[in-house]
Amino acid sequence: MQQVVNGILVVNTETIPGKVITETMGVVSGSTVRAKNVGKDIFAGLKNIVGGELTQYTELLQESRNEAVGRMVADAMSIGATAVVNVRFATSAITAGAAELFAYGTAVKYE
Amino acid sequence: MKTSVANFRSFSILVIMAFVTFSLNVVAQGGAVEDEGFPLVLIFLLPFILLSLFGVVWMILWPAMFVWGAVFSGAKVERMHEEANQRRDSLSKRMGREILNSIDGGYRTDVSSAGLVHANGVFGPSHWHLMIGFVNNLIGGSVTVFQQVISAGRAEVMQRLREQAEEDGWDEVINVRIDTASMTPQSSNTRNTVRGVEIFAYGTGIKYE
Repeated sequence: MQQVVNGILVVNTETIPGKVITETMGVVSGSTVRAKNVGKDIFAGLKNIVGGELTQYTELLQESRNEAVGRMVADAMSIGATAVVNVRFATSAITAGAAELFAYGTAVKYE
Repeated sequence: MKTSVANFRSFSILVIMAFVTFSLNVVAQGGAVEDEGFPLVLIFLLPFILLSLFGVVWMILWPAMFVWGAVFSGAKVERMHEEANQRRDSLSKRMGREILNSIDGGYRTDVSSAGLVHANGVFGPSHWHLMIGFVNNLIGGSVTVFQQVISAGRAEVMQRLREQAEEDGWDEVINVRIDTASMTPQSSNTRNTVRGVEIFAYGTGIKYE
């Protein structure tokens, strides 16, 4: 169970179920741009001909999303928050091999 | 952003041109210098040899894989969809109910802990499906081949979210959101980019007291 990332609670609901928010501390965000190596890009291109899931890119986006969430949590920690609520994600493809992942939410204190 | 991309492009063209002239020089001198000219030529031409080799392999491989995709990809997509549905049924039988909810969980007061849970997948139609889709686009109406791929992918990703929630030990997932983002950027007009759609589902897992 990983409900707590580095001591900070992360949820995408407006309130924390079962807890009371005492103070809001503004928007925190984290973003990352990652790419796979050329070999995996070529393999994904080959896989694309026959269709189906492109596992290399699934992996890539999973890793970068975790990294973006980690940066957002670090941002929240630096201003002394204890939780991040209402988390949203945005994705944009820069080139076919690289993607920008952006996570943002509201830093709060709860009791 | 745009200017830096343009700068990078002109810079890379310059580098390639310098490289070509340099290697041509080496080739021209290779005849005169006999003792160590030959390996030098090979080293400088190596990227080009690799590139042409890759082109040849692609030329042979592409039609074969295209035919393979034309024969098997439709059935593969349907199988993926069916398999995801079966896993969903067996999981809901095991848990006793459907665990994903798209509403906010404010109605529950007996929650002991909560946390983010997310799952994703990148799915693309085969080149054969792209061709059928192109023809479909000319006629108009619903483009079923793409719809099949994306709905199968969405079923698979939702099932992954359920399994992730079960693995993390949550009783229920509330406030589920599903995002769909294209992996192919609008700006690229080259033919050889990967055609794919990323499906991403996330929600808040909660545990009852």
